[in-house]
Amino acid sequence: MKKLSISIASAAVGLLVLGGCGQGGTPEEPAEGGGESQAAPEYPVNENADVADSKTWQAAKDAGELKVGVKFDQPGLGNVSTGSDQPEGFDIEIAKMVGAELGFAPDEIKFTETVSANREPFLQQGNVDMVVATYTINDERKKVVDFAGPYYVAGQDLLVAADSDIAGPEDLAGKKVCSVDGSTPAQNIEEKYKDAELVTYDTYSKCVTDLQSGSVDAVTTDDAILRGYAAQFEGEFKVVGKPFTEEPYGVGLPKDDKALRDAVNDALQKGMDDGKWTEAFEYTLGPADDVKMPEIDRY
Amino acid sequence: MDLPELLRLFFSGMWGTLELFFVALIGSFVLGTILAGMRVSPTPVLRIAASTYINVVRNTPLTLVMFFCAFGLPFLDIRFGASSSFNSFIYASIALTAYTACFVAETLKSGIATIPVGQAEAARAVGLTFGQTLGEVILPQAFRTVIPPLGSVIIAMLKNTSIASAFNNRELISAMRNAIELRGDLVIPILFGTALGYLLLALILGRVFDYLERKLVILR
Amino acid sequence: MVDVEKHYGDFHALKHVNLDVQHGEVVVVIGPSGSGKSTLCRTINRLETITSGTITIDGKELPAEGAELAALRSDVGMVFQSFNLFSHKTILENVTLGPIKVRKLSRAQAEEQAMTLLERVGVAHQADKYPAQLSGGQQQRVAIARALAMKPKVMLFDEPTSALDPEMINEVLDVMVELAKDGMTMVVVTHEMGFARKAANRVVFMSDGEIVEVDEPEEFFTNPKSDRAKDFLSKILTH
Repeated sequence: MKKLSISIASAAVGLLVLGGCGQGGTPEEPAEGGGESQAAPEYPVNENADVADSKTWQAAKDAGELKVGVKFDQPGLGNVSTGSDQPEGFDIEIAKMVGAELGFAPDEIKFTETVSANREPFLQQGNVDMVVATYTINDERKKVVDFAGPYYVAGQDLLVAADSDIAGPEDLAGKKVCSVDGSTPAQNIEEKYKDAELVTYDTYSKCVTDLQSGSVDAVTTDDAILRGYAAQFEGEFKVVGKPFTEEPYGVGLPKDDKALRDAVNDALQKGMDDGKWTEAFEYTLGPADDVKMPEIDRY
Repeated sequence: MDLPELLRLFFSGMWGTLELFFVALIGSFVLGTILAGMRVSPTPVLRIAASTYINVVRNTPLTLVMFFCAFGLPFLDIRFGASSSFNSFIYASIALTAYTACFVAETLKSGIATIPVGQAEAARAVGLTFGQTLGEVILPQAFRTVIPPLGSVIIAMLKNTSIASAFNNRELISAMRNAIELRGDLVIPILFGTALGYLLLALILGRVFDYLERKLVILR
Repeated sequence: MVDVEKHYGDFHALKHVNLDVQHGEVVVVIGPSGSGKSTLCRTINRLETITSGTITIDGKELPAEGAELAALRSDVGMVFQSFNLFSHKTILENVTLGPIKVRKLSRAQAEEQAMTLLERVGVAHQADKYPAQLSGGQQQRVAIARALAMKPKVMLFDEPTSALDPEMINEVLDVMVELAKDGMTMVVVTHEMGFARKAANRVVFMSDGEIVEVDEPEEFFTNPKSDRAKDFLSKILTH
């Protein structure tokens, strides 16, 4: 059964990745945010890391490789730009930061693409050791995986044209708002803002194309993702900046590996305390001045 | 989200799939029949036009055909109503129709080839025009001989409706994505459930075509 | 028909064919296989096109493909060797299709007329069956009824009995003899010498794409003039 479900999960990736292939993305450059931190942040590797109580950590250490599931199609968070084979973004930086604290150098971290449909199966089957992929912590998911963090509290927000007068979700009545088919943000619009006209595609890049052409009035999803697009199309789009939901992003971990969860939580806490978190944010998503660091939830 | 709610989600998705399916079914039969008629017509212009259309559209991936319809038609200011969801439904229907009609036409053409030439001669000898010969004698027989392969074409179209979810249409695949987002603990069952949904629809279709085949068989 | 020529590639199927058929006349075309007699028959309603020459019916030249040709064909009944009944339609529908679609008769009128014709050829009780459920002889009689339903000016028979089992040949020939007696203009390609003697006004003998001899049946069968006709008759009459 396990083998079967692995192949199903892989097939699902294939399916969903194929679905996303149509997007005509422009190469993503790291956002040129605060100006001070142009250079990639570096995370000192903790050579003395020892989480021997964790099966997952021990196996990864023995293999000399930490497998991390990330998104490959979310600019600013986890994205592989055209012509590159390495993902970049805030999630990637968080993974490197945590990885370093757990004793893995950047070249010992192997990034694997995960999509919404296979994050849980990949963790359950050990295809990845952890998932840092705009992964919202919720109770349903906690039934099958564990979460460290949150390392960021995203909120659903709106990306609009720079000169738009949409100032929040209450201005959406009669407007066309675009999101990804079947996603939580799309469901929120459908349920809570019925006056808005929802348009859905399989990728955000199609939404952004429509926003550019004026076919839709707004794109909605987590603000972190929107920041990525706003940075990519500087001057053309803006993020409204009034999040109307809370999406705590967590690091997904295999269920019942408390030692690993504690270690990752410690690593996140340390990063937030010593400024590495801020460096990572500014390197990928822009100015962090008005961004609050989240409270780690050690449930 | 509990099980009854999930089921409701899936039924509404399945309904979306069926709406698209039926519109495209009718459209592709109509267009496919016209194309098949053009393919065997005595007028070279019609023959060339039909075979060019078929060769171009049939050999283009459906995703691209959808892309052209969903983004190209609005660019040309071809719209079918104020609401974008209705527009998207029509665009997807057009794309599926345009694409599937090629396969319907080719299948029908192969059916036409199996009809003894004497049937057309007899029809012409009675004084039927080309159009009447085709409509009264050739196509009705061709349809009956190609019911099984036509069934495969139609089942393929049913599954092809899933591509429309990428272009602002809510259907079974949307319901699946939605459900996965909500119930991360049930990913594998949800995938199975979605497959089961398509399987169910395809099996019903298969039975319908089996029935038609038995019912409409021509004795020779 | 004046100076009709027909080529299939290098093959010269009809050579300088001249034939005039009068109203009410029954012309039987005989000849060895490959002599062009079927081709001759099929050129009359343009199921075969001709390379040169002219064919006129009732003073009008055969039109090219199109509505006009369809109209002309509706006046020329044709009966094929292999019946060619529409296999997806019932016997009744086979006979009513032309009248409804071409003559624009109402369904009721067409059906009434069809039943009369089916009665006449003796298959009225089979009206609701499909062609494949009938014997060859019955099918051919239906085919004759189908052609008659168009009230044609002339009937063409292209070897109407060649595909039939021997015991069914007479039931078809009887219908044809009746037709001839009623004054129908007929061109019949056949191997049935009995029919030719009984019903024909003239016999046309063809060989190698040419009309070799035209004569009254009695004269032709008892006293053929050409060697080719003598040879042909000696071959078929020795048994």
